[in-house]
Amino acid sequence: MNKWHWFLLALSCWMAAGFTISGPRRDRSCDDTPLPHKANRIVSMAPNLTEILFALCLDEEIVGVTLFSDYPPAATNKTKVGTFWQPNIEAIIAARPDLTLTVTTTGFDQQKYLAMRLNRIGYDSLTLHLETVSDLFEAIENIGQATGHQSEAHRLTNDIRTKLDRLSALVDTGDKVKILYVVQRQPLRVAGRGTFVNEMIELAGGENAIGPTVHRYPPIGAEQVIGSGAEVIIELAMMQKNIAEQKQTAMEYWSRFSSLPAVQNGQIYVIKGDTVSRLGPRLYEGIETIARCLKPHLFEN
Amino acid sequence: MSQLLTPGKLIIRITLALGVLLVVMLACSMVGSEKVSLNAVFSRLGDETTTNPDYEIFVRVRLPRIILACLVGAALACSGVVFQALLRNPLADPYILGISSGAGLGAMIAVISGLNWTLWGRSPIAVFAFIGALGTVWLVWLIGRLTGKYYVTGLLLAGVVVNAFFSALIMFLTSITKAEHVQSTIFWLMGNMTEEDFLVLWIGTGCVVGGMIALFFISPQLNALSFGPEVARSMGVNTGKVRILAFAIAAGITAIAVSLSGLVGFVGLVVPHGVRLVLGPDHRQLLPISGIMGAIFLVAADTLARTIITPAQLPVGVVTSIVGGPFFLVLLVKYSRKVSWLQ
Amino acid sequence: MSSIIKIDNLSFGYTSNDMVLEGVSFNVETGIFLAIAGPNGAGKSTLLNLISGTLKSQSGTIRIDDTSIGSYSPRKLAEKVAVVRQEHAPIFGFSVIETVMMARIPYYGSAGFERQVDRDIVNEALELTDTTHFASRPITSLSSGERQRVFIARALAQNSPVLLLDEPTNFLDPKHQVNIFDLLKAAQREKGKTIVAVTHDINLAAQYCDQALLLGTGGSFKSGGVQKVLSTEQIKNTFQVDFFAGAIGTEQFFIPLGKFAKYSTQSKDSPEKM
Repeated sequence: MNKWHWFLLALSCWMAAGFTISGPRRDRSCDDTPLPHKANRIVSMAPNLTEILFALCLDEEIVGVTLFSDYPPAATNKTKVGTFWQPNIEAIIAARPDLTLTVTTTGFDQQKYLAMRLNRIGYDSLTLHLETVSDLFEAIENIGQATGHQSEAHRLTNDIRTKLDRLSALVDTGDKVKILYVVQRQPLRVAGRGTFVNEMIELAGGENAIGPTVHRYPPIGAEQVIGSGAEVIIELAMMQKNIAEQKQTAMEYWSRFSSLPAVQNGQIYVIKGDTVSRLGPRLYEGIETIARCLKPHLFEN
Repeated sequence: MSQLLTPGKLIIRITLALGVLLVVMLACSMVGSEKVSLNAVFSRLGDETTTNPDYEIFVRVRLPRIILACLVGAALACSGVVFQALLRNPLADPYILGISSGAGLGAMIAVISGLNWTLWGRSPIAVFAFIGALGTVWLVWLIGRLTGKYYVTGLLLAGVVVNAFFSALIMFLTSITKAEHVQSTIFWLMGNMTEEDFLVLWIGTGCVVGGMIALFFISPQLNALSFGPEVARSMGVNTGKVRILAFAIAAGITAIAVSLSGLVGFVGLVVPHGVRLVLGPDHRQLLPISGIMGAIFLVAADTLARTIITPAQLPVGVVTSIVGGPFFLVLLVKYSRKVSWLQ
Repeated sequence: MSSIIKIDNLSFGYTSNDMVLEGVSFNVETGIFLAIAGPNGAGKSTLLNLISGTLKSQSGTIRIDDTSIGSYSPRKLAEKVAVVRQEHAPIFGFSVIETVMMARIPYYGSAGFERQVDRDIVNEALELTDTTHFASRPITSLSSGERQRVFIARALAQNSPVLLLDEPTNFLDPKHQVNIFDLLKAAQREKGKTIVAVTHDINLAAQYCDQALLLGTGGSFKSGGVQKVLSTEQIKNTFQVDFFAGAIGTEQFFIPLGKFAKYSTQSKDSPEKM
């Protein structure tokens, strides 16, 4: 059919035109961008990044944070630019940042694409990989370098390191305490060995009662609970307010596992989430909280 | 003679619909979590763009997203029209032959395998979803043909079986894989629009509009096919070729839509019915108008999705379902005299 | 008179050991009205589907206008043969005139719209089938008799020399049955069409048709003039049931008789011949 020939011709021309037009234009990609050395307007796309920025005395320069960046309290007054899971790119652009901080972990690439989108439009970004404790130190140094606050960064990392060394000296006496770190009760889910929570546990003088698992936060069954022989059970507070109530229900829930040393000795704790769930400057506070649950006798002074 | 479609009537209707689309596009581009003034956008066109946030938000964030919504909406609506005609089933939608589960499986595999490369700036999820969607349709087509040449029921059953099997695979993978992978996949599957770069939009427009034009060329044959393939063949329609072509185009544009924006439900089912109820079943009209209406619907839905709980965003698939359902009910009640299978 | 349809040694079976038609040979002369009759399962619809090109025969040839049916493209075949089948209720509500216009699809202009000549042909078809007065109504709102006329109009609009019909008077009341056959006869006389109708109604066949093909189960067949083929003996043997045969003038009619029928030959009273 004649009209089919014309149609295919037109379609081919359209496609060719597209490639021709877009050819000479080169959008900037992540790789070409040199790291900046100073930033006056910073957007943070994760709560722990916000905490780091405040800790580096960059609070004035912050022009945008995510909805759940709630620490320090001053952060709640900053302009919101979406959430960690749902960034609002319009709000980010409206804030006119010269540096946007994003975070990745293995398996979570979303913010990497956000960074790419911003770069395409012409906004600089810095992506931090935040998965382990050493990642945290590296991230703090990187942020310090990108913002010209290297000295504050050094100070912060030294501070954290010193406190950690002091703590490990304290808790290294005696055996490692077996702990079950529960992130969700129904279905039962614990922190496994590949998480930074695990690192915190080890730094706090403990040992994860669960052996190596495929998942990082595996769901486990009653069998594994009993077999773990946990001496301490720590639950993450589901909601910030009702810790006492959760402790009550926790005691009831765990009482069925009467063979566990943790249950027999009443070593069941409920702790607040921020300091232990966010890999950030309050790392030490988080580790200390865990340590107080593991070896309370060491802290009675 | 008043019932017959003429070229004049068709051109008028398409022009009107396009006019409405342009108005909607313009209106929606002014809506967003940030205030943008058109003056600011155009007055400083020559400057370095990073100093003009209005320009950037308008031209590099909102417009691409709106254009993408147009493409996806048009592709899904047209594909819905075609599947309803080919399968002679008013409940058919673009995903009925396994495209949804195929795309989902592709997306899941992409996320789990942790691949890092990008194709033209598109993530591996999009590419794998595209391959998954097309591969699944091809598989369903093969299985359907095994039950007898061009047997519609065979196709539908094959679609159901493949959908069930792939969904089971997805559930299996979900249970053994890491939580953040699952989160990423589900998030992608719920349907979302982001701004794409120029080349992707250009090629996408070429494919979708090209597909719509090709389908328009075979619209009279699709009309005949609504009476069944034997009847159509007796009227001189080359049913084999027309069915394969229509099927391939519809599957192709759906796969493109899914790879660009995840699974957006409801558009492909509701828009064809709505347009058919108002304008009648002639595909020469139904196809282009459904495409334009699908675009309008999705642009509006996406704008709602990104503004209603600002600064967070709803997945657009949620909005299409919640809005589309009642809307369709109203249409149905109002025009139910015309619908044969309700009587 | 040449034969527009020539069937030679046609055999067909849906499975290889179950042959429905074996060695069927007959010619359909141009411009006649042929009835294909026979009991259920004898292969009448199968034969029709073979002639219309929907099914492919395993052996034997079918020639339409001296060309083997296999060498026709769907479009070329539609120019020669139009078919009226038994159709399901349509899914979409096309109007009557839209439905009939679809017969002209192979002739549409390059933009995909009908030309004036197509409109004329369709109007003529609507008039011939007396469907003009509801041309704008959706086809889904018609009764089955009206719908049947619309489908015949669509077949007529194809302007083909041959018209095949599969049991066109099924489900119709006597008035509509006669309507349809009158219509077909008019098409034969005024337009010179060759009409092949599969029908259960041997009385209508006897009244309207020129030739008949009687198919029996087990592959037997008899073709020829309708008087000769539809004789009492043949009918009783083929349908395996008793018939009362009468005549109005020279035209015969047949009434099947069951065991408990009032005028059964097994009862003592025999009816008078009229």
